[in-house]
Order: sequence, then structure tokens, then C-alpha cells
Amino acid sequence: MGNCLSGDVEGGKQAIGGVQQRPTSTTTNNAAHNDAVDFFFRSRGQFPLFSQIELSLSASNLIDRDITSKSDPMAVMYLRKKDGKLEEIGRTEVVLNSLNPKWIEKITVSFQFEAVQTLVFHVYDVDTRYHNVPVKTLKLKDQDYLGEATCVLSEIMTKPNRSVTLNLAGNFGAGVSRKLGTLSVQAEETVASKTVVEMDFRCVNLDNKDLFSKSDPFLRISRIVENSVAVPICRTEVVDNNLNPVWRPVCLTMQQFGSKDTPLVIECFDFNSNGNHELIGTTEKSVAELERLSLHKEVARFVYPSTSHGRNKVLKGQLIVDRFVEKVQYSFLDYISSGFELNFMVAVDFTASNGDPRTSSSLHYNDPSGRLNSYQKAIMEVGEVIQFYDSDRRFPAWGFGGRIADGSVSHAFNLNGASYGDEVVGVEGIMTAYASALHNVALAGPTLFSHVVDRAAHIASQSLSQNNPKYFVLLIITDGVLTDMAGTLDALVRASDLPLSVLIVGVGNADFKQMEILDADKGRRLESSTGRIATRDIVQFVPMREVHSGQVSVVQALLEELPGQFLSYVRSRNINPVGAPPAT
Amino acid sequence: MSYSTTKRSLEIELISAEGLKVDRKPVKRKTFCVVRIDEKSKNSKLDEPGGSYPVWKDKIEMEMPVNGSVRFISIEVLYRTGGGVEKSVGHAKIPVTDFMGGFAPQGHLNFLSYRLRDEYGDKSGIVNVSIMVKPEGRDIKYSSPSPSMVVPADYAACSSQAAAAANGQMWTSSSQAATVGYGRRVVTGVPVWCAYQRPF
Repeated sequence: MGNCLSGDVEGGKQAIGGVQQRPTSTTTNNAAHNDAVDFFFRSRGQFPLFSQIELSLSASNLIDRDITSKSDPMAVMYLRKKDGKLEEIGRTEVVLNSLNPKWIEKITVSFQFEAVQTLVFHVYDVDTRYHNVPVKTLKLKDQDYLGEATCVLSEIMTKPNRSVTLNLAGNFGAGVSRKLGTLSVQAEETVASKTVVEMDFRCVNLDNKDLFSKSDPFLRISRIVENSVAVPICRTEVVDNNLNPVWRPVCLTMQQFGSKDTPLVIECFDFNSNGNHELIGTTEKSVAELERLSLHKEVARFVYPSTSHGRNKVLKGQLIVDRFVEKVQYSFLDYISSGFELNFMVAVDFTASNGDPRTSSSLHYNDPSGRLNSYQKAIMEVGEVIQFYDSDRRFPAWGFGGRIADGSVSHAFNLNGASYGDEVVGVEGIMTAYASALHNVALAGPTLFSHVVDRAAHIASQSLSQNNPKYFVLLIITDGVLTDMAGTLDALVRASDLPLSVLIVGVGNADFKQMEILDADKGRRLESSTGRIATRDIVQFVPMREVHSGQVSVVQALLEELPGQFLSYVRSRNINPVGAPPAT
Repeated sequence: MSYSTTKRSLEIELISAEGLKVDRKPVKRKTFCVVRIDEKSKNSKLDEPGGSYPVWKDKIEMEMPVNGSVRFISIEVLYRTGGGVEKSVGHAKIPVTDFMGGFAPQGHLNFLSYRLRDEYGDKSGIVNVSIMVKPEGRDIKYSSPSPSMVVPADYAACSSQAAAAANGQMWTSSSQAATVGYGRRVVTGVPVWCAYQRPF
């Protein structure tokens, strides 16, 4: 670090929580995230025994790992699994130059009443040169370690104020014992709500806090929770050198602000690269009051809290709400139940890397005793879920990488062997078509996904041209060994602007590194060889071995990202559920 | 293609850019975008607060000949120095097939993102735009898919040809246009990642 003063503070000046930049982004707090899974279980009378919990983290007295400035902390939360391994659940943002950070990004975890969920928190000092990098892509081993703490989730949930303060511990070599500070965790149950408010804030006549230039103001909005603790929920970007700043629209979900009458603390700070942001003024307003301000074109006066007299000083500075819009943000289920159709397509890997179907080690093993092979198991398990969500249970089904009857290798042949008409009905249909294909098709290669992706994209684009309210999901069941990475990337990028998602289900125990690259989860967007970049993330990779080892249920694994991908499509285009009144 | 006129009107929204860099340093100046079709060009408004993550959300309308003479439209992102001098951050070429024909039905609002490269061919950010080909007066919205998509059986061939053609055009024209290693650097075929800021 050390070069913190040399100017690269861009990362610290960006907005956090509720200021949208990319038109295709969904808010990080996606209330609909588990709706799809929930709905699946509930429809069969199984009520999930968990509730979504949002954790807000803050720390105090962290150690200083930087020489000329203070640490730039970020917290990472893990769940300790039964085998002792840590599974990452989420990361906060990086707070610049602070030993007492209050992180804004919340970490969501589902609280399972019957399980002991051990949470492990690691705190890192993030090097300046990584400040413009999305936190999800940061390699933690490159960062300075500031300590860790552990607790059990139910421990937090049973406390009356639903918060715990933990001492950070850590191993810094032999004989080194230092006080590493504390980490506080505040838990809140999330409310699923569709209301979103969007506001344009600006200020006039702010006090000048800088000596040689004007203040660099930003706003921080916090919500006061039950026990009168203020939890920051959003921060605007920094406007440089301006006493009458105008900020980008701020978008708050009801999940963030609670109810319209919950008091919010709006603080205006002067940004300082050394982390000592100076308070310019503060005001307390609920969302309802902010709406009134905007409606009657009134202003809110900032006050400066005074410690000595107990009376606050009223300032010249004013907060103005130029625009206040209340929107309904529809959830995944709103769309599905309104008649928006999900249509699944299935593609099965027939390449030789799966092993000879006559040997029992093959993933395509044709067992004379009739036991299901890895592909059949995957089709059965996955099929049950997609059949539930597919409106007509008719699936176009293809195979790829196999030598078909005419002796040529095809990268998108009809699984049922028919020369015309690729649709099969239900899971049984896929199973029958698969069995017949296994008899008639010889495993070959190379492994190309691009043909099936293109075919799926074609179907999606045709439906689009007929203006149908449909969304498509291509399910690729594969052993994960890909020959043509570049071609696959190109096809996926080409398809990324269509109502289409690609679910890749990995069977067997191959190295799935390539599949992980295609699943652009880590904040990177896929890039084609022509320089076009995927409009949105449309790929999700599900390794079946994780399902089989019981780490996740197949429903959860398959539906983990689909609602988000679906919503990113419809929201970016202002598509409403069928028959819903148009959003304002 | 069976268009009655040889020109179509494009509605282009210059939405935003991400991770703009000049000499590997984040851009801190006012930025704007220039769209070029054929000989004509149009500018977006300036973005002041955004720095290396500008948001323009600026809609412009331009005409494009559809007789095959235009295969790319070009987008350049520039910044303005304190002295009012305009300097390039990077540019991107958008193959016409990305928003017409191919997978894009008529009247479809295409959200497209491209890698920006500077004059040396180095990555200098990502630009996000949306492009809609305005339906012709007599066309009903979403009426007919483009000719390449009418016969499903021929589809795979068509699409891969179209894609191959697009690629081919990309390389030949870019290597002709930019002599400074642009084409060479692009044709790697290896996915190379560049970090971008996720909006939170």
C-alpha cells in the first residue's frame, strides 16, 4: 500500500448499495432470489424451514497493515461445512482508510432452524491497486490478513438485539500476540417486498470543509433499527469540489429501508482520501417525509450535531429531493404466475470423453441390469425440476458430439432420432429419446457447445419476433471437457441479449475449470473473439457431484441463478408480468 | 434483404462505459462518445461526475444504408482535458449483424456491450449501448424475421456462416484499417478477462 495518498482513490469514491450503473443489472438484494426454490417445495406441501437473514458487519480497532495510511478493510463470510471446509457466502465492499469500518453491503444467509450454522468471518486489508476491481474477483491470498472470528448463526438470532460483537483472532507468526480489534454482526430478517423508491438528491449551500478547494460531498443513508443502531444502507458517489452537488439517482428497496415511516439518517460528508470523511451535516427523514419534500418542493435543513450544548446547530446547507418515484419491482414468481412461460431445452453430451458405453466406468454405461448411468440419473433429477417450471412439458432435446446414422459427426442432432421434430414430452420422453440415441449414435468428438447454443438462441429469437412472453432455458448435460472454448464463448455472447439462460449440468468427476469460466459468476463478463461482451450473465454451472454429496439440493442448485438472470432480462427492457399495469 | 428503401433509421442509446483507462490509469475527466456510420458522426453529451464509469444515457438517431456497404458502425469514447482538447480513450466496432439479421428480430431493442481498445490495441474499458432498428412505416412491428431465419432446417448453417462472415469481416477490415497491431492483438481466440466494476 502506501501510495494511498498518491491519488488512486477512485475505488473509494464510488457509490455503494442502491445506485445502479449498468442498465441490465439487478439489485444485489434480490428479494426473489429463493422464491423459485420456495415455490417448488411449497407446491408439494413442503414448507422450507428457513428464513432469509441479512447480516450487517462493522468492526472497530482493526490493526494497521499499511505504512503511510490506514488499512482498507473488507470482510468475507464463510459457512463452515460438516467436513470443516469453508464455503464462501459473501463479501462486503472495501472501506477506504478506516480501522473502524461500517460496511454497507449486507451478506444474506438462510437461517435453518434445525442446523448448526457456523459462520467464519475473515477481515482483509485490500491493497490500493485492487480498489477498482469488483470485490468478488479479488484473490484473497494477495490481500493482507487482519484477523478472523467465528460464531454460530443461532447465537446471533437468539440475542435480544440480534447482534454480537466478536474478538478478532489470528495467527501472525510465532510469539506475536496482538489485539486485533472486534467485529460486530447485526442480523435482520429480510422482508420480501416489491416496492422500490428512486430518488434524485441534490444539496445547496453546503459548508466548505476543505482548505484549498471546495468540499467533495457524498451522502450516506442509514436506517435506524429496533435498538436505535444506525445501519448504513447506501452511499452515493462522491461529487468532487462542489458545494451544490447533484447525485445520480438513488434506488432503495423496501428491504433496505424497512417501512416508509422508518426514520433514515441522511448524512452528508466531505470525502477525504485518508478515510477521515468529515461530517458536513445530518438530517433525519423517513421515506414518507422525503416523498413529501419532493411533492411540495420543500427542503430539509442539515444540522450539525453539537456535543457541548446538547443543541444542534442548524446549517445553511439544504437537502433537496428533485424526484421521487415509487415503483413496484416484480418478482420472478409474479412473472411466472402471470403467464410468462419458461421453456426448457435439453442437450446431451455424446462425446467420446465420457467413456465407452460398454464399460462400467463410462458415464454413458449401458447397464444390462437396467441401472441408471450418470446421465440418466442427472436427467431424472434435473428433469423433475424443469418439468415443474416448464409450461407445456415439451422439450426440444438434442445430442452433440456423436456420430449419427449417416456416419457424420453432428453437434446438434435430434435426440429422438427423428429427422424432423426435436420435441419430446416430459422426463420420460427425454429418457426414452436418450436410450434410443445411445443405441443409434456412436460417441465421437470434438465437444462443441456452440451449435446447440445457436439452435437454442434461434428458437428464443423466433419466439421474440412473435412477441411471445416466453423465456428459454437450455440445459446442457456434459462431462465438462470442452474442445472449442473460443467458439462457445462467441455463441454465448451472441445469445446474451436474448430471453435465454444456459444451465450447464456437469456429470462425472472431470475437471470443471472450463465450465467455471463460462459461468461468469465472479463478476467478469464473457468476451467474444470479436470484442463483443456479454450483455448479461446467462450461464450457470451445476456440478452434479455437489448435489450427490448432499451439499446442495438439486432444486437449489438449478434455480440458484435462474430467477436473477430472468429478472435482469425483463427489467432491463421494462417488461411487466402479463396483464400487469405498466410501471411508472 | 427486401427493404424498400436503402436506408434505415437507427435509434442508438449511448448508455454508459465501465473501467475507462488511459495509459492504464482510470480516466478522471469529462467523457463523451462519438458514433460513426459511414462518413457521418454524432456525439453524446458530456458526462462529468462519472470519471472512468460515465453514464450518458443519451439517445441519438442516425441513418444507416442497408445495401451492404456498411458492415460496421464505430463507437469512440473520448475525454476532454481542462484546456478543452479532446483525446481518445478507445474505440469499438459494432458489426451490423449484431443488431440486424442474426438473432435480432426487427424492432428488437438490442443491449450490446463492447470492449474498447486504444490506438495500440490495448484494452481501455467497456462501452454499453442499445440499438434499435426502427421499423419501416409499412412494416408491422416484429413482422417478419430476417431471411436468414425463415427456414429452420437451414438455420444452423446460416448462423454459423453469418457468424463466420462477421468474424471474417472483422479481421480483414480491422487489420486494413488499423496497422498498429490491432488485428493481431485481437485474434487471440483466448478468453482474456478484464476486471470491471459491478454495480452495487
